[in-house]
Amino acid sequence: MIESIYSKNFRAWKVALAACLLWPAYLFAQDEKPIAPVGKTYAITNATIVQGPGRKIEKGTVVMKDGLITAVGAGVAVPAEAIVIKGDSLFVYPGFIDGLSHTGIAKPKEERDTRERLKDPGNPTNERAGITPQNDVRTIINPAEKSVEELRNLGFTVSQVVPYGNLLPGQAAVVLLGGKSADDMVLVNNSALYSELTGAQNAYPNTIMAVMAKWRELYKNASLQKNYQALYASNRNGVGRPVTDRVYEAFYPVIDQRMPVVFKSERVMETQRVFTLKNDLNFKLTIGDVKEGWPILNKIKSSGASVFLSLDLPDEIKKEEKKADKKDAKKDSVKTEAPKKEKPKTAFDLEREALEKRKKESIALYTSQPAEFSKAGVTFGFSALSVKTKDIPANLRRMIAAGLPEDEALKALTISPAKLLGLEDRLGSIDNGKIANLVVTNKPYFNEKAKVRYVFVEGNVYKQEVAEVKKADAKVSYKGTWSYTSETPQGTATGKIVLKEEKGNYSGTISSNMMDKPADLKDISVDKETISFTFPFDAGGETLTIEVTITVDGDTFDGTITAGPNGSFPVKGTKDPKF
Amino acid sequence: MKKIFSIGLALLLVNWCLGQDKGNLLIKNGTVLTVTKGTLTETDVLVKDGKIAQIGKNIAAPQGVRVIDATGLFVMPGIIDAHSHIAIDGINEATSPVTAEVFEGDVVNPLQIGIYHALGGGVTAVHAMHGSANAIGGQCETLKLRYGTFDGDAMKMEGAPRTIKFALGENPTRVHGGGSGIVPRTRMGVEFVIRQSFSNAKKYMEDWDAYNKNKLVKGFRGAPPAYNLRLETLAEILKGNIIIHCHSYRADEIFMLLNVCKDFGIKRVVFQHVNEGFKVAPELAAYGAMASVFSDWWAYKFEVYYSTAYNAAILTRNGVVTSINSDDAEMMRHLYHEAGKTQKYGNLSDDEALALITINPAKQLGIDARTGSLEAGKDADIAIFKNHPLSIYGVPQFTVVDGIVRFDRAADPADMRLMVDPKQNLDDVTFHDKNVDHCMEGTEFLFSDLFQADKK
Repeated sequence: MIESIYSKNFRAWKVALAACLLWPAYLFAQDEKPIAPVGKTYAITNATIVQGPGRKIEKGTVVMKDGLITAVGAGVAVPAEAIVIKGDSLFVYPGFIDGLSHTGIAKPKEERDTRERLKDPGNPTNERAGITPQNDVRTIINPAEKSVEELRNLGFTVSQVVPYGNLLPGQAAVVLLGGKSADDMVLVNNSALYSELTGAQNAYPNTIMAVMAKWRELYKNASLQKNYQALYASNRNGVGRPVTDRVYEAFYPVIDQRMPVVFKSERVMETQRVFTLKNDLNFKLTIGDVKEGWPILNKIKSSGASVFLSLDLPDEIKKEEKKADKKDAKKDSVKTEAPKKEKPKTAFDLEREALEKRKKESIALYTSQPAEFSKAGVTFGFSALSVKTKDIPANLRRMIAAGLPEDEALKALTISPAKLLGLEDRLGSIDNGKIANLVVTNKPYFNEKAKVRYVFVEGNVYKQEVAEVKKADAKVSYKGTWSYTSETPQGTATGKIVLKEEKGNYSGTISSNMMDKPADLKDISVDKETISFTFPFDAGGETLTIEVTITVDGDTFDGTITAGPNGSFPVKGTKDPKF
Repeated sequence: MKKIFSIGLALLLVNWCLGQDKGNLLIKNGTVLTVTKGTLTETDVLVKDGKIAQIGKNIAAPQGVRVIDATGLFVMPGIIDAHSHIAIDGINEATSPVTAEVFEGDVVNPLQIGIYHALGGGVTAVHAMHGSANAIGGQCETLKLRYGTFDGDAMKMEGAPRTIKFALGENPTRVHGGGSGIVPRTRMGVEFVIRQSFSNAKKYMEDWDAYNKNKLVKGFRGAPPAYNLRLETLAEILKGNIIIHCHSYRADEIFMLLNVCKDFGIKRVVFQHVNEGFKVAPELAAYGAMASVFSDWWAYKFEVYYSTAYNAAILTRNGVVTSINSDDAEMMRHLYHEAGKTQKYGNLSDDEALALITINPAKQLGIDARTGSLEAGKDADIAIFKNHPLSIYGVPQFTVVDGIVRFDRAADPADMRLMVDPKQNLDDVTFHDKNVDHCMEGTEFLFSDLFQADKK
């Protein structure tokens, strides 16, 4: 769908010539995520452009040049050098903004706190205690981290990212979800001081109350030190030298109210404890990944804190389980022959029903949180700190179904977080001069069938691996022969999986370079795109049951092989063409 | 069932709206056990704006005020538990022998179902305490059981004095000496840790006083001392602004802490558990120290073998302000039984026995001007019983906090949870707190080696 316009004018020829000269680089760049910018000018034409909530242009054009939006409107001229995306039937939105997450940062491998016990747990090092507010998140951001691509594939173009840790893990930065290096990605460095009311394990401060005590002490000492440094600076003669302290110094911009503190603030009590600290110490506050804010909505509203609601939601109670129960019940009644009336409910049944009802009501409260905040007029954004990225679109739809107007949802993904981060001059809407962050979909974004086609981050296009629409409606087919590879501690395993289907019943075999002969597949179960099975594996006389779960996407699959106590390994496969 | 359930939810909604509000109420024609002013039969108690406005006969009900017919019922002050660990998230900061800076008031959790259960036992206020892992533990919080609020601050009894947990004997020596191999390893070590802490706090106070004084001098350019919240808190104890509540069992140790307090000029000290308190009752009384005991719980470790069910009575007869506490969410629900035991073991009068769970714990928490007895002007924290509360047949019917009925046995819904975990498996839902001693909660990691050694 991308095509260069080679207009007749000479400038375009020059561009084409330049493109030819760049040919080898272009080839090389094909492996890179952003499609090589032949020119840095793009135009999306004839698309439905949602500039912001309630600002829709039918059949409009948006032009991006050198990372900025340079024109948007219905009758906008397309520059000759522009790479044109024909937007007919496509929808263009401002790139989404995530207010708090660890995007681009590798999760620490081992739980940091399973370390050995300390000799004196009451006096750990700052690092062990979780007190590293001086940490610069740029030093650990990795543009190639898969979380960057995953979030971007859903239309997110900017995240406020923070390091992993407890108490005071470090400084936050607002980053673009695209770029070659951490520095490349950073829009705003030191955007906030990040904190969690989480204790260090087996070391002081271990409990929430100790974390809060430590917080107060650090803040107070930082204030004292800051004042003394100022006094010293005014006349250094005859005054003891103030020692530098990187921990205290990290608080200075917070004390000056130049930088907010962003707290992970999931639970209702956690949020209120954060408010306790804010009220005691009077800093600018952002609460992130709020999951249980509705019982204290007024308190949140009057706190003046910036709010990022969690994109995570509790799972819905599966309907299938219930149906299954009913089926069983029917079978039972058939056995008893006579069309007997339903058994009277026992006290146990009644209690269980009541519990189930309350659980359902509780889930509904979580789901309707954004709607409640929107109704109450609280400006909020969203955060992806704890959500499974793939759940985000469905969760947004659940929030909308629970009463959040679509425009409000869009607001919370775009202009509201831009405002909360102080970046509305550069982000959050499709307007001239703003950074060219866009998400392009084939259907309105909140439509269940919507697919993201393109994501632009600062004018660089990231194309989606769009599986062709044809098979979207068709049933996923597992049938056939699949070649797979899997990296195991014993080396690379390769082989074929043959799957047959007859009237919904699956059977099959698996071969491997690690087995003498193919094994039959057992326990095959299929759920939408996912198929799982087991097979016996002879491990030097001992038979292991190997479990395999794969998710099929067109002609490829991704999955996991679990070899009992030996661990799990990723497996990839492709379908062999039929002859 | 469904009806009851929706009543419960309606009640919840009402409670949410009430928050820290105060109620109006008229309790008619009950036997009023004032505890401090005798027993009044066929008497009314009028509550206005959360306070007891009047106690007398034939009080006319003001318009629109709820009337509880207490004919045949017993009306007593709300029960106060001077030693509990409910309604808080985190009990022991067990990483250090001294953690005076930590504060249970920071981690009040008003959502715990145990609060409602306690109301069901006529309890209206609790002392939510730090655990006993450290020689000097954290600061505690006095809570009113205003169940229904989501606001931890709304549970706090406004104006209640600050308190702090100390601990002597096996717990701190086991945790720090045995667990980490640091001081205190012995009972001597515990005394040393406490004395050293107070000495440090004294020095700290002097440093800050000197700095603050110097600062007033024009042209002063010195550096401030480092701020230390731990020493800051200890200094407040020395200044008499924080009441010590000390976990203790043995008489020698109790006497030791009395001497430490004497040496540092600390007047306000309450001993908790105090199983051997009966041995030093005159000394406690002479110092003005108080005691909060179990009725008859002992022999759960070596230092609590020398115990007697007469402890509360002996302490009382020696003039020690004594209370009976629960230290346990389950026992909290029948503290009136625990108080009743002192009539079998020690022949305490009704008022003396009731004082153990009302006015005396109020004195120990420094809230006796507000609660602990039924008197005009006090907070309307009231428990209404069917049958006398000291009788084995006593059953709480209503529990009133600040004039608001927070428990009504006739309208007691099955599910009073304020928040329901949407991820919880229904099979795991339990409305009961597990019956365990929370005093040492949060210290387990320190003993992992010991347990492994046992297995070997």
